[in-house]
Parts: sequence; C-alpha cells; structure tokens
Amino acid sequence: MKNALLTATTAAFLAGTAIVASADTVTLEPGQDTNMVLLPKFLGILVFDQANEGAQEAHAELQNPGELLFQGPTPENSVAGQIEIMTTSATQGQGAVMLSNNAGDQIAPAAQAALDGGTRVVTWDSPIPSGDGEDVFVAQVDFGSIGIVMADMAHSILGGEGKMAVLSATPDAANQNAWIASMQEALEGDKYAGIELVDIVYGDDQSEVSYNRALALYDQHPDLGVIMSPTTVGIQAAAKAMQDEGLCDEVKVSGLGLPSEMVSYTLNGCAPEFALWDFRDLGYLTYYTAYGLATGQLTGDIGETFTAGRMGDYTVEEDPGRPGAKRILMGPFTVYTSDNVEAAAQ
Amino acid sequence: MTASNRPAFVSGTGLSGWELFLIAMLAVIVLANSALSPQFLSLNNQINLFQLSIEKVIVALVMTFIIINAEIDLSVGSMMGLAACAFGWMFQSGVPAYAAIIIVIGIGIAGGTVNAFFITRVGLPSLVVTLGTLIAFRGLARVLVEDRGITDFPEWFDRLGQQGLIGPFPLSLILFAALFVICWLLLQRTGFGRKTYVIGTNRDVADFAGIDSGAHKARLFIASGAVSALAGLFYAARVGAVRGDVALGFELDIITIVLLGGVSIFGGVGTMAGTLLAILIVLNLRNGMALLNITGHIQTGVIGLLLIGSVLAPRLKLSTLLPIISGRKGDAR
Repeated sequence: MKNALLTATTAAFLAGTAIVASADTVTLEPGQDTNMVLLPKFLGILVFDQANEGAQEAHAELQNPGELLFQGPTPENSVAGQIEIMTTSATQGQGAVMLSNNAGDQIAPAAQAALDGGTRVVTWDSPIPSGDGEDVFVAQVDFGSIGIVMADMAHSILGGEGKMAVLSATPDAANQNAWIASMQEALEGDKYAGIELVDIVYGDDQSEVSYNRALALYDQHPDLGVIMSPTTVGIQAAAKAMQDEGLCDEVKVSGLGLPSEMVSYTLNGCAPEFALWDFRDLGYLTYYTAYGLATGQLTGDIGETFTAGRMGDYTVEEDPGRPGAKRILMGPFTVYTSDNVEAAAQ
Repeated sequence: MTASNRPAFVSGTGLSGWELFLIAMLAVIVLANSALSPQFLSLNNQINLFQLSIEKVIVALVMTFIIINAEIDLSVGSMMGLAACAFGWMFQSGVPAYAAIIIVIGIGIAGGTVNAFFITRVGLPSLVVTLGTLIAFRGLARVLVEDRGITDFPEWFDRLGQQGLIGPFPLSLILFAALFVICWLLLQRTGFGRKTYVIGTNRDVADFAGIDSGAHKARLFIASGAVSALAGLFYAARVGAVRGDVALGFELDIITIVLLGGVSIFGGVGTMAGTLLAILIVLNLRNGMALLNITGHIQTGVIGLLLIGSVLAPRLKLSTLLPIISGRKGDAR
C-alpha cells in the first residue's frame, strides 16, 4: 500500500518534470568528446551500411572529437556476437552503443550491464522487446503516418482523381491492416475526395500469389488507376505483373518497397512513386539521440524534445507497442521517385 | 611413484613441446593485449572474457576426453540449445525452475545415451551419429519454443548466470574451475584417463587388453550430454532468455579449442593442460581483438588460421617442407 502510494507520487512527480522538460527544445552543443559504437544486426547488409553513412554524417556535423565505430558480428554469429560487442563496449567505457537488435531479449542483461556502467544504449530499427537495458528506441515508422504517405502517393499518381485497389499481405497481418485502416482514414479528407478505394485483396506475401492477385484486380476493375501495396513483396510482384502484361500505362503500382528491388519499375514508369523509411536518416537521428545522451545533454525522459540537425525536432515518448519503454519516432517516410531511387538502390 | 615411471602421455606433470609453444603464444597475446588496451587486465574484463564463452569452455573439457578417445561429439551445441529451450518451455508451462533444471540434466543424460547407444551398441561412427543428433536435438529445440523468445525467468536463476557468486566470480566460472581440476585429475592421474588414451591410440589393443571400450565410450558420451545440458542452462541464465537458435554452431568453436590445445583428431594424444591453454589463448585473443575494435570477420579468420597452424605445426619438419617449396618453384618455371 505504502509502495503503491510512493509509486503514484513518483509518477506524478515524473509527469510534472516531463511537462517542464517539454517546454523547451534542447539544441545539442557540438564538439563534445564521446566514443560511440553503431552495432548493426550483422555486417554486410546494405541498409545497415546506409545507417552508418547517416551516423557518420551526424558525427562529422556534431564535430565529436571521439570515435564512431561501426562494429557488427558476422551473420552466423549474430546473437553471441552482438552480446559480445555490447559487453566489450561497456568494458571500453564507450559513451553509447547504438543497437539494431537481433538477439531478442537475450541481449538485455548485457545491455543492462552497459547501462549500469555508464554506457548509454539507444536502439534503432529493431528494439529490445522487453525494453530492459535500453534508454530509448529510435523507431522508423508510425502506423498513422504511413496511411497519409500512401494516400498522398495515390493522389499524386492519379492526379487527384481515379480508382485505387490495395494488394496487402495476409488478411490477419496486424501491421498491414493498421496501415490500410490509417490510409482509409486519411482518404476521408477533402484532399482525397476524388480517389475511390475499390477493393482490398491479399497476396499472402508470396510473390506468385501477389502477382496473380494483381492481374485479377485489373480484370475486375478495368478502369483501375493504381494498385497500392503496403508490403515489399506485394509491390514488387504487382509491378512485375503490370510490366509483363504491358499494363503500366493504365495501372500504376505504389506502396512500400525496397529501392533496390523497385528501381527498374520506377525508372520504366510502372511504379513511379513508392515509400520506405530512409536508413541514412535513421542512422543520423540515432546518432543525434545517442550523442545527446552520452554527453549528458539529454536525459531521455518522456517529453524531452531536441533538435536533430537537418531533420528537425524530435520528442521522447512512450512506446505504444512496448509498455514501459520509450521511443523517438522518426517519420516521415522517404518517397522514392525516378529522381532519387537509383541513389538509394545502390 | 614418480612422474618418470609413467608413460609420457599419462604424465601430465612435464609439459610437452607443444604446450610450451602454447604458453609462449599465450604470453605474447597477453602482453600485447595489456600493452594495447588499458582495460584488458581489469578483473572485470578478465571475468567477462570467460563469461562470454563460458558454455563453450565447459564443454571443451569433456570434448577433450572424447577426441582423445578417437571419437567426436558434434551434437553438443544442439544439446545446449535443446537444454535451454526445454528449460524455457517447461518454465513457461508452469514447471518450477528448480525442477526444470533437474529434468533438463536428465534430458542431457538421455541425449548422451542415445549417442552412446548408436555408437557403441550399433557400431556406427560417432561422426555420423552425432551429426544426426545435431540436427535432431536442434529440431526438437525449435519445436519446443517455435519462433518465440522465452524470458522472465526467476530472478535467482538470472542472477546465478549474470552476477558474482563468490566475490565477483559467477557460479559458471567457479564450476568451470572445479570441473577443470576434476577433468585434469581424471585424465592425467587415474586409470580412467589411462584407458581413454589406450582406447584412443589403438582400440584393438585396448580390447585385447580386456578394456571394455564400449562402456568407456558410452560413459564419455553420456557425460558429454549431461555437461552440454548444464552449459545450456548456464547460457539461459546468462542471457536471461532463450530462442531456438541458442548455441547454434558452438560445436565448431569447442572442437577448434580442443584441437588447438594439441589433442589429435586421430585420438590418443592430448592433455587437459593443453586444452586449458588453448581456451586461454582463444579467449584472450578474441577479447584483445574486440577491445582493439577488430571486426568479427577478421577475428574469425585469425582463429581459423590459428587452427590450421595448430594442426600443421607438429608436422612441420624442414624435410617435408622443402619439397613443397621447391616443387612450387618448379611449377612456376
């Protein structure tokens, strides 16, 4: 009882602090010396190299005289390797470890030990599920913003007027359903009044099924203008289907895709626009967060707002997906067109 | 009885040339590490260095017996995974943790018995049998936990794997030290150890001398299963969570250590001191490279080269080397 009261008082106190903290935005002072480690799931993956580029950009921008290391395990040794690098980083007294977690909760004790030893732990791309041993998670996506991005892409491709169908993954994929729902919500806005959502089908995230579903959509809705696929498997299969059947002039494809897989379809006009988060930006924002924490300029408390260089202001908030854990939401998505897809596809 | 009365390979008191070489190598590594990174010699780092690989080095002690006995146990990593997953699964199903621990050790004994049965009774090569159980145990582990992670073990269980029990020394490290002393005594000071060497050197001679080779091998494989299961429990406690891929591929690291220690893959040769030295070399080398921020790819490569060197070095005589070199020159011409 006494404990409960104490907890309640503490919570109220913390809430009070949070409100005070949110009143002003922290601008990070450059030039402070702290060594940091960017720890990807494993080495040899393009998007992690891109994240490293973003972190290096921020590292140079903040003129940190310390070292930024890109340290990852080998693919076959990912879990044990990540734990080892986390432990070694703590021993080295690194200012912060930026982790794209591939070890599930197995890394929590090592991360907690690092935290206890004064090394800040910022996760990005993939958090520690329990939130134990983690200061804050820099999240790349938000379910709400993705709906708006997709609605905007449809609006742009259709020129404000036309019919759209959705090719999703599986009927019970929670994230896809939430994204579609948020898009439907966005479509109710006046801006999108000319867009009609005619159908939602599921390709089970299998290339062949998605391919056939995309063709079936065209058969059923001959005046279809765009197929929106919020899955990297679906969007690629749909684009290939339209290209193979020579339908790209009539039906465009959009959604969430990987630049490296979509580059040819974007350049030949089958998928003129699609979106995904930018891993360079993710690395950049993660670096700003970790630098702020490691130099003591940020506390990481809920409600704290800071400026992350060229990307603008971000606020620490409660993670809706992980009770008790904190996140910083990156957003918005990067929209890829023929202008930038080639650079991203490298 | 003095040391000189015993055959050299049972002695264990005098160090062989290979062991002296390993000591020199270890000295170089330790000196280089302490010169290059200020944190290396800290007690905390020295404990961490063991902790990060504690499951592997515990199993390496038993693997030493098995390889000296001219056999191999490839299933140890999978058994560790199965043990960790079985523990997680039972705990999640409501079995009290202490009971689950006992059952898991039982699973290790049972798994070792399966290996022993096919190797000693059916007469299949241990390479084939344990390759089979490597796959089977891993499959079972994945069936038990599916694609989930299981966590939230009791606090005392996690603490045993993560924190110091006596001073800063965790239970696993204390147990490793105790197990090393036991294994050293067994291998170098008892009839059990002598049998291990004799069977490994020449099984026919051993059988002719009235040694029950089958029973001896069976004991070793059962011990290997039980110790692997124990190591799996330590892994679960150390990381506080289990997944189907726990200890995946650990068997290769374990065998690497044992071979580096001078144990012959053909059996009959090797000592417990050699294995301990190899453990220290591999752990210190890895730790040193990590502290110097050398990437995982290079670390793996260096350990690999070390292993090739360890197999090659004892055969390295000038007389065998010369034709190779001159032969290559001949080709170039």
